[in-house]
Amino acid sequence: MPAKTISPEERVAIGIAFGNSYSSIACTVDGSPVVIANEDGDRQIPTVLSYVDGEEYTGNQAKAFLIRNAKNTVVSFKDFLGKEFKAIDPTHCHAAAHPQAAGDSISFTVQDKAEGDASTLTVSEITTRYLRRLVQSASDYLGKTVNSAVISVPTNFSEKQRDALIKAANDADIEVLQLINEPVSSVLAYDARPEGEVKDKIVVVADLGGSRSDVAVIASRGGLYTILATVHDYEFHGLALDKVLRDHFAKEFMKKNKDVDPREDTRGLAKLKAESESAKKALSIGTNASFSVESLAEGIDFQTTINRLRYETIARKVFEGITRLVESVIKKAELDVLDIDEIILSGGTAHTPRIANNFRAIFPESTAIQAPSTNPSALNPSELQARGAALQASLIQEYESEDIEQSTHPAVGTVKHITNAIGVVSVEDGDEVFVPVIAPETAVPARRTIHIAAPKEGGDVLVKIVEGNTHIKVTKPEATPKENGTKDDEDSDEDSDFDSDDEEPEELREKVWKIGTTLAEGAIKGVKKGGNVEVTITVAGDLGVTVTTREVGGKGGIRGTIKAP
Amino acid sequence: PALPEGWSAEKDFKAIGSITASSQRTIEPVGPHFLAHARRARHKRTFSEDDRI
Repeated sequence: MPAKTISPEERVAIGIAFGNSYSSIACTVDGSPVVIANEDGDRQIPTVLSYVDGEEYTGNQAKAFLIRNAKNTVVSFKDFLGKEFKAIDPTHCHAAAHPQAAGDSISFTVQDKAEGDASTLTVSEITTRYLRRLVQSASDYLGKTVNSAVISVPTNFSEKQRDALIKAANDADIEVLQLINEPVSSVLAYDARPEGEVKDKIVVVADLGGSRSDVAVIASRGGLYTILATVHDYEFHGLALDKVLRDHFAKEFMKKNKDVDPREDTRGLAKLKAESESAKKALSIGTNASFSVESLAEGIDFQTTINRLRYETIARKVFEGITRLVESVIKKAELDVLDIDEIILSGGTAHTPRIANNFRAIFPESTAIQAPSTNPSALNPSELQARGAALQASLIQEYESEDIEQSTHPAVGTVKHITNAIGVVSVEDGDEVFVPVIAPETAVPARRTIHIAAPKEGGDVLVKIVEGNTHIKVTKPEATPKENGTKDDEDSDEDSDFDSDDEEPEELREKVWKIGTTLAEGAIKGVKKGGNVEVTITVAGDLGVTVTTREVGGKGGIRGTIKAP
Repeated sequence: PALPEGWSAEKDFKAIGSITASSQRTIEPVGPHFLAHARRARHKRTFSEDDRI
């Protein structure tokens, strides 16, 4: 497909996060990403398009029309791009314009003109119109016409969907520089901060959205990201939380007004939905939220409050579902929670404090949890994808389109990744231990250097290069014996009772390195007392290894190669 | 560890094995480090050649 291309000099590029529920736009100012607010002042712009008397509305204005003008309002259409009618789940469109089959595509029928018949618009056309408005907001902010963008997409977006999105964007006069995967966009948003550092780490990105939740495990190795596993879920998400609140408020209303269910009235339901979402957002910030709707059903006003604790109780099932999703993706990557260095919470639902707290409970202390409630310096979860996309846009906007295509072609990035870690053997307290130099799942070619203490007395040192891998060591602390001997028999009664009934000795799980195959040995002679040895290991694309090692501050050193397998 | 008695090798380096396991995976084409990787891959440069530029 001949895609729209623009020369680098004429390019004004932004990052777009295009979601089913919300979208956002971002640009970079002096290299740092800035999320752009639209003319309504919103940074999270609802992905909604509505027509009233021939006027086009998007964002929150369009969303408000779900109450009075539902059938000319299109919602939740992004996942329909590039799909056939029979493959979609139209659940979230029930209260708005309904999707219908249109050949091998999907369309919506809306009255988009002041007069005349209603129009049948394909999902591609709807997307084009919506993107046009998004980009217009960015152009207004920048004072320049935006003509290209990097757009983030879910990892399970098919090639057909990717092509459909590129076409819809091209039709809106936007050149798509690149489509990037949403979880990677979030990791980039964190790593590119001035205080962010490029480290070898395993990151879980939990993207908790409105109508879907996507979780990915990513190996971040020297700033290169490799996705190890993903899961996608369409059951535990923000709309499920809205429904919990909606049912709760509807029941409260029915206690006071017998036989009147506001959910059975279309407008009543639309009002309940809108207000439940607001209450949910308020409960992420404060511990109390008020809920009030004028003329909820049969002309009766309704007003009540809810506190966070009550909300967390009624929403427990959804929260637990999200925790299970994260556990399942880690299992799918054949890893353990102990292997996870960082978890990034992304998406609107990630603002919920309870979700981050639940993660805190399943991960070890060493795992950094990037969410507003667990880390005051965390970035806004709603902004991550747009920030990442804007950063990527700023990195590649100076390239010719052809260069971008060649550089980002999957063939360039499809390389061997080492399964085991490569490291050196060191001696600690008389035991041989493994010190990793290159982490497992590192893409090759790769180069890493470490400094390691030589034996205290100095002298001649053996540098032993080995493979290593981790396993989880489970130790059960020995149960406190019932009979503590005669010494403290008197006061041990209650203690042992307490121990055996309530305190099942908790298993201690820890990650330990196991030394594997030896790759090479080298000798550094005459190391000073208390000296350090520098070891640099370079693994080439063909898995051949070059080792250079010397005493820190010393001269010479040795260099050797290990041939490829 | 300390060098055992009588250990010797040509140029003090002895290759013993080679990497046992690897898998083919795809790096995400995102971020400054990937672009550097792509540049090296396209020009077939090594790390040290790249450092010199």
